[in-house]
Amino acid sequence: MSLDDAQFVNGNSQQQSVGSVDLGSKRVSHGSRGGGADSEGFSMSMSHRDINDEDSRLIYVNDALKTNERFEFAGNSIRTAKYSIFSFLPRNLFEQFHRVAYIYFLIIAILNQLPQLAVFGRGASILPLSIVLLVTAIKDAYEDWRRHRSDRIENNRMVSVLINDRFQLKKWKDIQVGEVVKFSADDTIPCDIVLLSTSDPTGVAYIQTINLDGESNLKTRYAKQETLSRVPEKDRINGLIKCEKPNRNIYGFMANMEVDGKHLSLGPSNIVLRGCVLKNTNWAVGVAVYAGSETKAMLNSSGSPSKRSRLETRMNREIILLSVFLVALCAVVSVCAGVWLIRNEDDLEIMQFYRKKDYSKLPVENYNYSGVAMEIFFTFLMSVIVFQIMIPISLYISMELVRVGQAYFMIRDDKMYDESSNSRFQCRALNINEDLGQIKYIFSDKTGTLTENKMEFKYASIFGVDYSGEKINIDDEHRGYSIQVNGQVWRPKMKVVVDKELLQLSQNGKNTEAGKKIFDFFLALAACNTIVPIVVDTSDPAEKLVDYQGESPDEQALVYAAAAYGFMLMERTSGHIVIDIQGERTRFNVLGMHEFDSDRKRMSVILGFPDGTIKVIVKGADTSMFNIIDKSVNLDIINATKSHLYSYSSIGLRTLVVGMRELGVTEFNQWQSSYETASTAVMGRVALLRKVAINLEKNIEIVGASAIEDKLQKGVPEAIESLRKADMKVWVLTGDKQETAISIGYSSKLLTSNMTQVVINSNSKMSSRQNLEDALNTYGGPESNESSLALIIDGTSLVYILDSELEEQLFQLASNCAAVLCCRVAPLQKAGIVALIKNRTDDMTLAIGDGANDVSMIQMADVGIGISGQEGRQAVMASDFAMGQFRFLVPLLLVHGHWNYQRMGYMILYNFYRNAVFVFILFWYVLFTGFTLTTAITEWSSVLYSVLYTSAPTVIIAVLDKDLSRRSLMTYPQLYGAGQRNESYNAKLFWLTIADTLWQSIVVFYVPLFAYWRSDIDGSSLGDLWTLAVVFLVNIHLAMDVFRWTWISHASIWGSIIATCVCVIIIDAIPVLPGYWAIFDLASKKSFWICLLGIQIAGVIPRFVIKMFIQHCKPSDIQIAREAEKYGNVMELSGQEIEMNPQRR
Amino acid sequence: MEVSTTNNANGASTKSKPHHSRFTQQELPAWKPILTPGWVITSFLAIAFLFIPIGLISLFASERVVEIVYRYDQECIPEMYCDNVTGYIQSSHTNKTCIKNVTVPKKMIAPIFVYYQLDNFYQNHRRYVKSRSDKQLRSASGEFSTKGCEPEAKLGGAPIVPCGLIAWSLFNDTYSLSIEGKVIDINKKGIAWKSDTNVKFGSNVYPKNFQAGDLIGGGKLNESLPLNEQEDLIVWMRTAALPTFRKLYGKINSNLEAQDVIKVVLENNYNTYSFGGQKKLVISTTSWIGGKNDFLGIAYLTVGGICLFMALNFILLYVFKPRPLGDPSYLSWNRNSSRQ
Repeated sequence: MSLDDAQFVNGNSQQQSVGSVDLGSKRVSHGSRGGGADSEGFSMSMSHRDINDEDSRLIYVNDALKTNERFEFAGNSIRTAKYSIFSFLPRNLFEQFHRVAYIYFLIIAILNQLPQLAVFGRGASILPLSIVLLVTAIKDAYEDWRRHRSDRIENNRMVSVLINDRFQLKKWKDIQVGEVVKFSADDTIPCDIVLLSTSDPTGVAYIQTINLDGESNLKTRYAKQETLSRVPEKDRINGLIKCEKPNRNIYGFMANMEVDGKHLSLGPSNIVLRGCVLKNTNWAVGVAVYAGSETKAMLNSSGSPSKRSRLETRMNREIILLSVFLVALCAVVSVCAGVWLIRNEDDLEIMQFYRKKDYSKLPVENYNYSGVAMEIFFTFLMSVIVFQIMIPISLYISMELVRVGQAYFMIRDDKMYDESSNSRFQCRALNINEDLGQIKYIFSDKTGTLTENKMEFKYASIFGVDYSGEKINIDDEHRGYSIQVNGQVWRPKMKVVVDKELLQLSQNGKNTEAGKKIFDFFLALAACNTIVPIVVDTSDPAEKLVDYQGESPDEQALVYAAAAYGFMLMERTSGHIVIDIQGERTRFNVLGMHEFDSDRKRMSVILGFPDGTIKVIVKGADTSMFNIIDKSVNLDIINATKSHLYSYSSIGLRTLVVGMRELGVTEFNQWQSSYETASTAVMGRVALLRKVAINLEKNIEIVGASAIEDKLQKGVPEAIESLRKADMKVWVLTGDKQETAISIGYSSKLLTSNMTQVVINSNSKMSSRQNLEDALNTYGGPESNESSLALIIDGTSLVYILDSELEEQLFQLASNCAAVLCCRVAPLQKAGIVALIKNRTDDMTLAIGDGANDVSMIQMADVGIGISGQEGRQAVMASDFAMGQFRFLVPLLLVHGHWNYQRMGYMILYNFYRNAVFVFILFWYVLFTGFTLTTAITEWSSVLYSVLYTSAPTVIIAVLDKDLSRRSLMTYPQLYGAGQRNESYNAKLFWLTIADTLWQSIVVFYVPLFAYWRSDIDGSSLGDLWTLAVVFLVNIHLAMDVFRWTWISHASIWGSIIATCVCVIIIDAIPVLPGYWAIFDLASKKSFWICLLGIQIAGVIPRFVIKMFIQHCKPSDIQIAREAEKYGNVMELSGQEIEMNPQRR
Repeated sequence: MEVSTTNNANGASTKSKPHHSRFTQQELPAWKPILTPGWVITSFLAIAFLFIPIGLISLFASERVVEIVYRYDQECIPEMYCDNVTGYIQSSHTNKTCIKNVTVPKKMIAPIFVYYQLDNFYQNHRRYVKSRSDKQLRSASGEFSTKGCEPEAKLGGAPIVPCGLIAWSLFNDTYSLSIEGKVIDINKKGIAWKSDTNVKFGSNVYPKNFQAGDLIGGGKLNESLPLNEQEDLIVWMRTAALPTFRKLYGKINSNLEAQDVIKVVLENNYNTYSFGGQKKLVISTTSWIGGKNDFLGIAYLTVGGICLFMALNFILLYVFKPRPLGDPSYLSWNRNSSRQ
């Protein structure tokens, strides 16, 4: 794993990678405090805090009883399922009613049960709620059943556990903390286990953590020297482990072990975690420390963060408006009802249709009448019940269904399937699909996002000599470097392009001064790392491949390079390494290693040479290395190296500096004793070790520098160009050096040669302010041409700018720039930059990254996208969407984002319309019933209206309809602007829709009213006419707006019309309902058919006229593109478009 | 909820490449209609040419309907009771008979329908419309299901059949017509829907305890006739949709000549005075469109006319301000650049 903020071959990056951003926990501050050093210091304290007694757990090795005596630790049975058979109903209901919408439903249903307010029958009032609850419950139950099944499979897997001094098979779920567990090669590890011994005599175990963090390369874990020779069956181990409380940091572990009176310290390299797989090791034995739900894997399997989409936020505003309408309607009805009652108060007793008093009982009492005031109040509540669907509850459910459908299509899009990593697109958050269509700012990480994070050794500068000359591919001359081992040929798995001159020098020039330096250089590359060589069989039995497994791609590249030049690492254990140097096998003792940390930004090993000399080899980032290099000698070489480094990084290469120093015996002894004290220290071990390392790493003699290329991913320049054409601003935030960042900027077409670069590099607040003001004065004017300005700013300057009053100036400057490049930024600063934009504009932000250092920015942005690539899975875990390649951003945003947004926007408006038109029809009728909330439409039809009559087409059209084809959207990225300009959903459209709704409701209601005024029509017949008319009308309205008619759209729209007719017929065929046979009587009248036809036409005409008028006189881009799709020539269009595109000039 | 391809437990490298189909790629064959000027004009013209004739025919049919509407509620109050209308109508001793004459304006061809029309009578009032028991009406076994019928559900514990306010308020004015002493026969059979007499109202349900309470709401029923033969009740129980409504009283199967003077003998029993209602006698022929109502004809003519007008407008628009379909120079980013 390589983190680009260090840009360093980091020996043990585990501690640093999660440190800055603890996975899942929301420790992202708005803006960045302090910058790099602070956040890292903070991280160190998090992952390497020392154990206090109160937050530690004690584990007695091989004594589960005693371990669990005082505190009951979690058993190893896991439970990802939420419900059991008994708890399902109450818990599921409880969870469902967490949604406000359902509570509204419930309150309405309960109100309706009061006899005073019983508008609908009991069945009809509960039906919609119960349908919704049932559908959701079935969905939840199915998901939970699948979880139950996988839990059962997991829990019942078998593993060997030491019971009564014999290893016996035991189910996973029965493992207890403190038990000794044995597992073999390719076994999945059942819980978090501290290694005691392995089949390897040095106690090494290799594990694959793909299930945990997605990294496929092997990692090494070690059993402690003191325990690895013990055979648990015979030689009972009695020890005590004191370790941290369970936490979710998968890269940190802190513990002490007491065995036979000795205190040992345990770290992350001594623990294997649940879900990992043992590889290349025959067996391993360990003691369970965390089990079941307390394992790090389970603690990390939390859900994705929940965000709310912009469209939904806007929609909620309109829903509040709709509730105001609702209250207004109810108020009108109740006031009118009150006036009516007061005016007729004297007659209420005798009025045949009111009959206030009940004479059947004595004394005579009012029947169902509690005075005018109460009647007004009841009328108000009843009208809320009758008009309840004004608030489109079904909309929330429809939206969820639509998003699931959209996610289905996004996941299944083969344009977003990554062949190389075999990964599909993933939708982790299901509620922000439509945000993808409104993005304005893209914040991208560089390494692993724009680039492949597959490193390739390019150039070397050795002792002031630059070897970047003629390259040969090894295949041309011979088959690369190989060695003979026991009659077999071993060769490195990856071939490296080598420099001819350097190759010759390294092979032949041993005795020259340059040759010695080359020897040192490649020895350093081969030795100073944590790479493990794994020998892999090939089809040819006489030939084996050496696969270098390690956590850092940079290190892998360097070791392969060393092997190609004849320094082949063959074996690594914790105590020694074997390197084949030009055919001569040499064994070096590894006397100590100071692993990488992001504070020092370097690592070192202490090697004992065969001739008895001891050297310390240091490798690290140039800034950190030049601080410790002895400048009293070889100053010209240091300067030459510096200039080489500059030229390497300016063509986008990642550079590292190597140095070494011979240690005298006394110095070595001194170091060794302090190293041992430090590494067994109970308190402050990390700080002590770092101090030891810093003491050792000084006065280093320079050896050389290496340059590694990180290749751009396929299609990145084209993708960036498309995104820029779509009027999105692409900002690159990287931990790389400025020169590297700029060169990547050029190769990815983020920067072009005709851009003016505004560079801000400051070391203080004053100079930052000065820089910003200068830049603003020069380029900040509104007249400046936006497309020709690029801002390059580094992390140090950001330290002074973010979270201060300078933010505003930076924002102004940045918003004038076409490209922004931030280099040397710390993870939290990335989030700070996103917040800078997010807090100041209404524009949507998207962050894309692949590493742990991007997590904060992914969580901060409106939309977070994780690249499931080389680095771990933290970015994916924190993201809303995950995909394999940067270039998939183009189809994701331009195609799916556009569709999602357009579909969702239309669906929301349509839902408002569809429900409101029905409510208005009910309302108009109430005006003709003495304001008593009678509905002519049967209660079943009113209930089924939004559930059945009109629901399916809404959802289906919102999942399937496409306003434009994928090809048009990809050819003209500018069409994306529709989402950025809120064209599918805005206040104007809302009010237009409401006006249209009013008109249509008036047509539907008043045409039959006037046609049947003073006739002998009965309520049920007129109700049926209104039902059919409104259902036909809303479906025809939808049909008018459908862009693409597939057979599914036909089936859903015409199908729901037919379904409505069938339902109405069924309802009218029930003899105990008052409306029995009404529809048949009605349909035999010609006036019915004339009304129906007239309503449809008169209802849609205004909409049709306005639509056609706008389409002709003020066509939207989408309209033009649709016409071009059908009638125009797409190729001709694209030619013209490039020519006329202002940005390209 | 997470929708993703979940790796199985041992991270097996099964190919997760999505199965390619036109459906999953959203490329199903589709009809992509675009409303071109031709289509717009054609559809407006088509609607106009469909709607204008229908409107004319409807208007014509409505014009041919001959209708006599005679309001009698005020005129049938004897002058002495002018100040005490309610007392007059509620008393069982006053003489309610009232004789009036109406003239036939045009020749009326059989079948001629006799309706009564009530104005301002909320048969759709929520208290009223629910106050019935369809179960009870349907069969004798449902006699005791009087739920919802309050306050006309029971009389001293015994169920009222038919219960509820609707039945209780049965309209009970009667009309008999004659021309020059010759009685015009009003056929009161077959005025209810067949479905109601056959299915909805039971042949074994007889009125019980009906209109026996203190407050009389309207007409009484013949206790020896089953409900499915009480067609006045059946018609009344089909509650009207609107506060102004007509209900069929009977049919006349002979023609009436123009200028015939019909002598109407009314029994003015029904109380509409307490809530300012009106009572009217309606004698009317029908056409295929129903009774006399010009609304549909006028509405169709209006819509047809508007469509014709819109068609002309759009023709002018397309002629004077044409826009080539799919012309990229209309794209917003191209328009902006040409302006610069």
